[in-house]
Amino acid sequence: MNTKIMMIDDDPDFVAGIKSILEKADYSVNVAYNPKDGFQALQAEHYDLLLLDIMMGRGAEGVALARKIRKDPKLKEMPVLIITGIREQIAFLFPGQAVHPHFVETDELVEKPVEPKFLLEKVSALLRLAEEKKSKVQE
Amino acid sequence: MDTELSFNDEIANVMYATHGNPIKDCLQCGTCSGTCPAVEFMDHTPRVIIGLIRAGYKDEVLASNTFWSCASCYHCSVRCPAGIDIADMMYALKRYSMWKGQHQEGLIGPVFSESFVKMIVNSGRSFEPLLAPTYIFKNGPQGLVQEAQTATGLMLKGRMPLLPKKIKGLKKFQNMVRRIIPIGEPS
Amino acid sequence: MKQYAYYPGCSLESLATSYNLSTLEVAQKLGVDLKEIKDWNCCGATAYFPVDELLAHTLVARNLALAEKDGLSDFVAPCSACYKNAYFTNSYLKKDADLAEHINYALEADGLHVNGTMKIRHLIEVFIEDVGLDEIEKKITHPLKGLRVAPYYGCQLLRPRKDHENVENPQFFENLLSALGAESLDYPSKTRCCGGSLIVTNRKAALDMVQILLQDAVNRKADVIATTCPMCNVNLEVYQNQVNREFGTQYSIPVMYFTQLMGVALGIKPGKLGIGKELVSGEPVLAFAY
Ligand code: SF4
Ligand code: SF4
Ligand code: SF4
Ligand code: SF4
Repeated sequence: MNTKIMMIDDDPDFVAGIKSILEKADYSVNVAYNPKDGFQALQAEHYDLLLLDIMMGRGAEGVALARKIRKDPKLKEMPVLIITGIREQIAFLFPGQAVHPHFVETDELVEKPVEPKFLLEKVSALLRLAEEKKSKVQE
Repeated sequence: MDTELSFNDEIANVMYATHGNPIKDCLQCGTCSGTCPAVEFMDHTPRVIIGLIRAGYKDEVLASNTFWSCASCYHCSVRCPAGIDIADMMYALKRYSMWKGQHQEGLIGPVFSESFVKMIVNSGRSFEPLLAPTYIFKNGPQGLVQEAQTATGLMLKGRMPLLPKKIKGLKKFQNMVRRIIPIGEPS
Repeated sequence: MKQYAYYPGCSLESLATSYNLSTLEVAQKLGVDLKEIKDWNCCGATAYFPVDELLAHTLVARNLALAEKDGLSDFVAPCSACYKNAYFTNSYLKKDADLAEHINYALEADGLHVNGTMKIRHLIEVFIEDVGLDEIEKKITHPLKGLRVAPYYGCQLLRPRKDHENVENPQFFENLLSALGAESLDYPSKTRCCGGSLIVTNRKAALDMVQILLQDAVNRKADVIATTCPMCNVNLEVYQNQVNREFGTQYSIPVMYFTQLMGVALGIKPGKLGIGKELVSGEPVLAFAY
């Protein structure tokens, strides 16, 4: 069965690039360009992994969405890879400080731009981790 | 959902949370441009900017000074027959261009926004707009002399503080900010 | 006596001290109990929206939360920009549960919680609605007889709210001025923007916009322009000399806060109202009352 990835990001050029990398690696990818549509899509169908942007719409809406996912009993186990350009976008507020992840149970954060090889490694690592967790629960 | 996103939809997404109607409802009637008190100082009138967005002219829009010349007076917004919140769209465009780091060169608006927000995050309070140029441009642009004369006049009248105050609960205040902007140690 | 949560805003602590002084004096005289919100923060005017609007609402929400914590139900701001920000953040908190939840998550780091249940008003609304023009008129000891006043509403006192009695041609400011015994002028530019938010970022445009307002007041033979906002006031008053330099004009029109005019009419000493701190002297205005 094909691994299904959801991507929520407002930048069409960035989305196109990442999507083609992932599709070449045989993942099936679905895209939403704003958090509202994205959340709806996540509720409508099961996804194995979410790629999530932070700065969207009014501001750091990605954080709000990640927190919502964490509270949703159906979605909270889904691993989330946060891909953000926030440093470029508004890091002038806290110069020199790191972006902090840990919005959901299993997440990881990478900063744009992303190397294709690095992206694929992160994706498969997160998927593997989620798999292991699931089988542990079943034991 | 999966098709290439148009520029119009991209902008709609930046302002998707607003309660006005989408800009694709624009009738191109020109009420906004006719209302706008700052229109003479804009590269494109508000009506034209909306037209360009709908036609997908991303580069032209980003290069325009229009949204940075908007005074946020909301006159267009309350008059638009299509119910579009144009003033809010101007903010959305500012946000879009700031995040992309793409805007017309030499504009003061983006630098000013940055410094202002930074100041508030650092102190909880803001500086006087009058003193802003001093904070923004270390070496003083033209006009600073005039500014200084005005400032001296105000200082003599007891109306000009030297530095902004700080709020007392600054640390907790900044932790609050960090929950919205996920940078620095989480709390 | 009913208590109001008072949010002075940054300008009232510095450039607009006379607005703060006159507000407190007049409120006291009229029995309006203003309780300043403890450790309030700047609400950021309009500068946040280009950076992060969620942050903008959070900063405003902190002030609302502080006021709610005091157990008060009425929030009053004398600055039109602060008022507009508070009004809209408050209404979004009610309308958008996700936004409210997220903001409360942030406020929790500051030990606060916001419900969005306050009634948000501008100072002028409180005086007119809660004290009432009749009551104000009764207390007038020094009517401003013959003083020709241009009532300047500016933008954010009225917009983008659309539910005012009349967004395009409001009358409440005129009515208040008449109650003070002044002659309230038909001032066509009364709701036209003064360019306040452009004064730093696009000086030329702002001065141009100010010039139109000043000229309009001169055309109406106004003795004074009355304002309801520290930013409008500063723009019209402090920058008058720059307008003169730019356009070769010779404007010298006093610009005063509506609370200063109220104070004079209520017989409060000019010094207590901050009169004397102007760059364009307000002295001529006093002659009408004394
Ligand atoms: S007023 Fe409204 S409908 Fe008319 S051109 Fe402007 S945005 Fe379009
Ligand atoms: S809000 Fe901006 S675009 Fe609209 S009328 Fe005012 S200055 Fe012009
Ligand atoms: S909007 Fe202006 S006056 Fe109001 S708090 Fe902010 S800086 Fe101060
Ligand atoms: S520009 Fe002047 S009139 Fe317009 S909102 Fe700002 S302060 Fe008010």
